[in-house]
Amino acid sequence: MRLFYLVKKETLEVVRQRELLALMFIAPLIQIIILGYVITTDVRNIPVAVVDLEQGRVSRAVTERLVRSPLFRVRRVSYRDEDAEEMLRRGEVSAVIVFRDPDAPGRFAWKLPQVRVHLDGVDANSSQIAAGYFNGLIRDVLAREVKRAGAEMPLEARPLVRYNPRLRSINFMGPGIVALLLTVLSMFITSFSFVREREQQTMDTLLLSRLRPLEIYAGKALPAVVVGLVDMVLGIAVVIFWFGIPVRGNLLHLFPAALLYLAAILSYALIISTVVSNQMQALFFTWFSFILFMLLSGFFTPLESIRARAPALMILTDINPLRYLIKIIREIFLKGNGPAFFWRDLAALAGIALALTSLSLLNFKRFISR
Amino acid sequence: MRRLRAVMAKEFFHLLRDPRSLAIVFAMPLVQIFIFGYAISFDLEEIPMAAVDFSRSEPSAALLRVFARSGEFDLKPLEGEGGLDDAERALLSGAVKQVVVIPADYAERIREGRTAEVGLLIDGSDSNIAARVFQHSEILLQRHGTRILGAEEVLRIGTRVYFNPESQSVFFFVPGLVAVILLMISALITSSSIARERELGSVELLFISPLRSAEIIVGKTLPYVLVALAVGGFILLFSHFWFGVPVRGNLLLLLLFALLYVLAGVSFGILVSTVAPTQRTAMLGSLLATLLPSILLSGFIFPLDSLSPVLRSLSLAIPATHFLRIIRGVVVKGAELRHFMTEGLFLAGLCVLLLALAAAKFTGLRRRRR
Amino acid sequence: MTAVEVRNLTKRFGRFTAVDRISFSVGQGEILGFLGPNGAGKTTTIKMILGLLEPSGGRITILGRDARRDRNEVKRAIGYMSQQFSLYPLLTVSENVEFFSGISGLKRPEIRARRAELEAELGNGLSRLQVRALPPGIRQKAALFVSLVADPELVFLDEPTSGVDPLARRAFWHAIYGLREKGKTILVTTHNLDEAEYADRILVLHRGAVVLDGRPRALLEERGAESVEQLFREAIGGET
Repeated sequence: MRLFYLVKKETLEVVRQRELLALMFIAPLIQIIILGYVITTDVRNIPVAVVDLEQGRVSRAVTERLVRSPLFRVRRVSYRDEDAEEMLRRGEVSAVIVFRDPDAPGRFAWKLPQVRVHLDGVDANSSQIAAGYFNGLIRDVLAREVKRAGAEMPLEARPLVRYNPRLRSINFMGPGIVALLLTVLSMFITSFSFVREREQQTMDTLLLSRLRPLEIYAGKALPAVVVGLVDMVLGIAVVIFWFGIPVRGNLLHLFPAALLYLAAILSYALIISTVVSNQMQALFFTWFSFILFMLLSGFFTPLESIRARAPALMILTDINPLRYLIKIIREIFLKGNGPAFFWRDLAALAGIALALTSLSLLNFKRFISR
Repeated sequence: MRRLRAVMAKEFFHLLRDPRSLAIVFAMPLVQIFIFGYAISFDLEEIPMAAVDFSRSEPSAALLRVFARSGEFDLKPLEGEGGLDDAERALLSGAVKQVVVIPADYAERIREGRTAEVGLLIDGSDSNIAARVFQHSEILLQRHGTRILGAEEVLRIGTRVYFNPESQSVFFFVPGLVAVILLMISALITSSSIARERELGSVELLFISPLRSAEIIVGKTLPYVLVALAVGGFILLFSHFWFGVPVRGNLLLLLLFALLYVLAGVSFGILVSTVAPTQRTAMLGSLLATLLPSILLSGFIFPLDSLSPVLRSLSLAIPATHFLRIIRGVVVKGAELRHFMTEGLFLAGLCVLLLALAAAKFTGLRRRRR
Repeated sequence: MTAVEVRNLTKRFGRFTAVDRISFSVGQGEILGFLGPNGAGKTTTIKMILGLLEPSGGRITILGRDARRDRNEVKRAIGYMSQQFSLYPLLTVSENVEFFSGISGLKRPEIRARRAELEAELGNGLSRLQVRALPPGIRQKAALFVSLVADPELVFLDEPTSGVDPLARRAFWHAIYGLREKGKTILVTTHNLDEAEYADRILVLHRGAVVLDGRPRALLEERGAESVEQLFREAIGGET
């Protein structure tokens, strides 16, 4: 009963600050929309230059394919010897493809040029993807040459992409973005609310009242949970209707996961707010934590590479609640799986949420009876 | 001059006497660099996959060996009987990301010199890697195919990666991280500190003092400019010595542009603080208005070329976009001034514009108070 | 029964001793004026008595109960008005009353009664304004009201008259006398030495120790001083 009054007060405080309301509900939606257009693992329009010193059929075919492909943007085609490195250094292109005369007539009837691809390695990701595209494209052309000469390329790949046939990254990134935004916003609001109470020194009166520490804790956390869930629903609605992503599974399965997730990160935010001494520190700490969560969640980069490169860091991903939420999102949206498939992730989330909530509650109690 | 120094001194002491803030500002980026350096990579490594081999011949085994030996894949045995159903289940559960299906007539076709189709069932829900999984498998297949033909010499595509021969993602991220940190410190802390003074009312004291508006602005923001540059430099140095990130170009040039960039950030912070009523709103506002666009639309993570033309033109208005090109060029590529005339001009222009706006808003605010 | 009994109360922050083995008692129905320069330890002492701060040593007894052990029972009998008035600025006074009544465990009809009382005292218009829009004098009245919603036997007022004009201050002390007539015990900390004469007893702290303890009139006669301020200055030896 007493809790009710605390929650009512918190709600009133939030509702009476219009800019806060805007930040909590409108800004995230706008962000999601923008993010949806920006975040993509599809790489397109890679600027390239072609230096064709052979000018044979193959090199011309490749050049034409490059020009027509939406993956590349051919900025220059030169027929003179150029300094590839200087071009890359200038930054106008990310790759230079150089065709030269074959160095020795092979035992085969094909006349194939020497192909060299020079890549700008600064953007390791894009250049690797570009290299992959080139390989595919060039070998395609070469394969046709081989066929012309009467032979056949022995192996051909027949790909079948499951769950996301057109490989639209937004299909996965979309709900993932909602998860990310959920995280940032909830963490900020929670840690701010505690720090602000302390700075205003109204915490004392709360403590003196008949409210028990658990009630104070719940009263502050509850509004954040509600905001988080509302934002999530809105965000997912936007992502589904605006971007038209498919939903194969049952969205209701998302709620228990979302609740557990919110419990986990809000507890984390509360622990932060007792550790820092002012709002600015809260901001920095929360922001950096968020980045860490994000990086170690398998959202941007595969978890397998972390396991391969730095197995010691895997433990950080094991305790990262975002990792499990992302996985569950993926399963529900794209594979249409139910809890039978991801119960392990759900259990992990529950464990983490329980641990963090108890920790933060204990910490809170200790903190107020200083 | 003396008055100016007084304001600066106060800000400095404020900062220095807050060891926790300093620790956070220096330590957090460090932690991030660690994670970036060790854990984050866009490479495919040890991606789990399985195979369904209907041919069970020597040639099919040879093909599977190619996959097993590649570092990018981790070939695992299938549960159950190892048929297509088990494969689909493994894909659905996420145990493997790809299944190679070798048809029954594989060996005959190879012997007869015809093309054999190799099926690739790919988990498209992990859009991070699905495309690359496919590309890489294709490359493996093609390489193996040319080997079968005995035509490796002829169908070779040489690839050379410049500036970052081992394709280390750190090279890519560190400059970006420096840019983000510089922005965070310059924009966020500035806006937060001014908003705080407004909230507390102590800004009135500054307003009625004989200090000129310009002096107030310079005095309040210079310490943060210096701290930002210090932290940025620290990160670069650390990455250089620990991860071997090269620092090849003209550092003075970098410093000059960094200064412009930081000034732009500071101006933005001032702008935000003049409109935000509370410290918290100022911080969240700065975050959403400066940090997020700078991260998303500047080319920090997501390649600019892949953006739609609308977003690409938007990115030109963001100082981070230009600074990022410059710092990547100078740091990793060893580029020089002549490579960056356009970026430099843009940066300078944006900086001047933002400074003018901020100064105008600030003086306007002050005049209205009287 | 004494309302508050403090024995050898000590508080250390690291190597700094804020409160050094002070002892005093407050009788029921008394108004105690708690005085002292900034940093003397007044607020620290009050916080310890209220249970907001853990003492480094000593015993506190409130209304016959050990303040530490029986904290929950003790809480029920205390009303507190903090230095910054601690009303929520975005809420109206009436909503503040509702909140504090609610978390003190009052039932709904009681809460409604309180709100009605508030409206009677402040006037309808004022009680529905957001606290941030109110002048300090009204805010102080409101804060006092809020600290009394649970009808506590013991009332702590931490610098209640700071920033308030002399007329309002007078009215305030009038209200405090009214409380004493209802049998409540009141502890007031203040910077204003002339207010000290309003109290039944004064306690002066300096650097964590008690330097004066007694009834103002008696002390003035004893020491031949003409004002509490003079007493005060002599007690702290001319320092500030």
